[in-house]
Amino acid sequence: METFLQQLINGLTIGGFYAVVALGYTMVYGVLKLINFAHGDMFMWGTLTGWALLTTVFASFTDMDVIAILAASVVVLAFIGVMGMTIERVAYRPLRSAGRLSPIISALGAAFALQAVARNVSDARWRTYPEGLLAELPNVQLTGRVSLSGLQVLMLVTCAAVMIGLYLFVQRTRVGTAMRAVSLDHDVSRLMGINVNRIISLVFFIGPALGGLAGLLIGIYYGSFNFTLGWVFGLKAFIAAILGGIGNIPGAVIGGFILGISETMVVAYGPDIGLADASAWKDAIAYVLLITILIARPTGILGETVAEKV
Amino acid sequence: MKRILVVAVLLSIVIAPLGSFASAQEGDPILIGLQGPMTGDYAYEGQGFEKAVQLLVDQVNEEGGLLGRPVEIVIEDDAGDPTQSALVADRMVDSGVVAVIGAYNSTATEPASEIYAEEGILHITPSSTATRLTEKGFTQFFRVCFLDDRQALFAVMAMDEVLGAETIGILHDNSTYAQGLAEWTQVYAEEAGLEVAFFDAINPDDQDFTPILTNIGQAGLDAVYFTGYHAQGGLLLRQTAELGLDIQWMMGNASNNPEMVEIAGVAAAAGTFITTEPLPQDLEYPEAVEFVDAFIEAYDEPPASVWWLLAAEAFNVIAHAIEETGSTDTEVLAEYLHNDFADYPGLSGPIIGFDEKGDRLGTIHALYEINEEGVIAYYPEQPQPATEE
Repeated sequence: METFLQQLINGLTIGGFYAVVALGYTMVYGVLKLINFAHGDMFMWGTLTGWALLTTVFASFTDMDVIAILAASVVVLAFIGVMGMTIERVAYRPLRSAGRLSPIISALGAAFALQAVARNVSDARWRTYPEGLLAELPNVQLTGRVSLSGLQVLMLVTCAAVMIGLYLFVQRTRVGTAMRAVSLDHDVSRLMGINVNRIISLVFFIGPALGGLAGLLIGIYYGSFNFTLGWVFGLKAFIAAILGGIGNIPGAVIGGFILGISETMVVAYGPDIGLADASAWKDAIAYVLLITILIARPTGILGETVAEKV
Repeated sequence: MKRILVVAVLLSIVIAPLGSFASAQEGDPILIGLQGPMTGDYAYEGQGFEKAVQLLVDQVNEEGGLLGRPVEIVIEDDAGDPTQSALVADRMVDSGVVAVIGAYNSTATEPASEIYAEEGILHITPSSTATRLTEKGFTQFFRVCFLDDRQALFAVMAMDEVLGAETIGILHDNSTYAQGLAEWTQVYAEEAGLEVAFFDAINPDDQDFTPILTNIGQAGLDAVYFTGYHAQGGLLLRQTAELGLDIQWMMGNASNNPEMVEIAGVAAAAGTFITTEPLPQDLEYPEAVEFVDAFIEAYDEPPASVWWLLAAEAFNVIAHAIEETGSTDTEVLAEYLHNDFADYPGLSGPIIGFDEKGDRLGTIHALYEINEEGVIAYYPEQPQPATEE
């Protein structure tokens, strides 16, 4: 039971990261019906930017790492957000009427470009965040051998806050209502007096900005990264978005947690059911699960409530 | 390279008028080939080979050479590339070398070894560890380095003798190298009577290893041997600390990298053991100390890599065999190395001998520990090399 609880915590942490990154995929898909393949790499750029800030500009803040991290978060949110808007303006908007295939190729191009620059900036090496960030956060010893580190609590709380905040923003504000309208129909929205381009720009600010924030959190949590991080995490988050029903915000969150927890449980209990090398099988099994769910519900777990799309 | 060519040309001009066609026994130099990556990705190692071997050649010549003849090295650059390696080997054969040292990487050594075997030229590699190199039945091919199974044996001895472990775990990353090392470790551990209670792999593309670490933490192991690479090693150490687990880690030689300590953080890395080929300056054998001192005197820097020292070792073995047999004939030399060469005081420790495949017996690996300052330091207590089977 203790082991199960510990593994559940591990899975929740991984799933939380998937969920926040998945939000970016799902929001963009909601308004543009576009799979933004550059999203994973923008998320990695969040990690990279955070690393650059915390090891240079904010490096002298070591005694006040909370302030340094808050300052870095603000810069990362703004920088990655603007990066997202720029990519939309340069790489997607000119192709908006060019069918569905061209923007996808353009998105892949943007992804490779971001990755190539990151590769050069980081010298293709593993890069490490300053040691001991937020080390003063206490570990919570739940029962006996089950421990929940302060950092894990912080990550989970931040992820939850972001997800709830975004949900409320989309459901309860005027701009959020406009977003939902745009996701239903561009032309009718325009007739209703909504500036569709501005809403799309806003979506391309919020999605990548939150992805960038998740990137920064991952950097702090794992302490190191290399430029391929965006590819691996981005793919998983994309799958989480599909699993939950792409275009649906609560769906992305549910998909992220399902994927994170099921991956963890395969590794945790694979050996018990006679599966040697469970880690190597983990992805295969997670994807079989994905396919099974999609066969049962082709639009994803929450995908049928079309009216709620963003 | 150029300098040697010039020397060779000059020498041939000087020697040619002497008209000694059949004078192989007289004052002609004994030619020994050195094939390695003088350019390309591994140039650092190849150039180190040259420095190390040249140092010993100069010493031998000062003392009157071998069998009364001076020794000369013929250097060829294979750039670590298998295609170039075959060309290099042909040129070596044409130049009339009696033995060849090299190449650096297994990929380059393999095609050359075929040619040397065909031409019957004694061939010793200082650094190519791929198992299959010695599986081809060549009688004149040897290596002074050790295969990965030797590292596995060493790791088992270290866990058994130094850590006093009884129940161990093994973790690899599904790469050919790491899986091989892990499987050998399992074999030797079971032979030594240790219980391998955990054997699994990670996916090196992952960032989060907490699920498998939680399993390891609950398995009640005395030590866990990770055979993969340093980036994942660092993440494992960091997340072990993050989970508050008490795991005694030991890592293989692919984790012998200060970057691992950086990724893990000093606090999380401290107390981790590493099995690896020792750095030349950590070798305490008098022959090694003498070599390192001479190297520093000649080049103002210590030999940076153990492979340089092993290139010198290969030369010593060839020189010793020539002296002992009084011959430069490959068959005689190979016969001697297989059967009579034993307990030679090598630079990298006593060379117990070579087995029938040409692999070196014994082990060179050493135990290192990441200390409180995060430095990978030679561990004072080393497992004692087992008397060889």
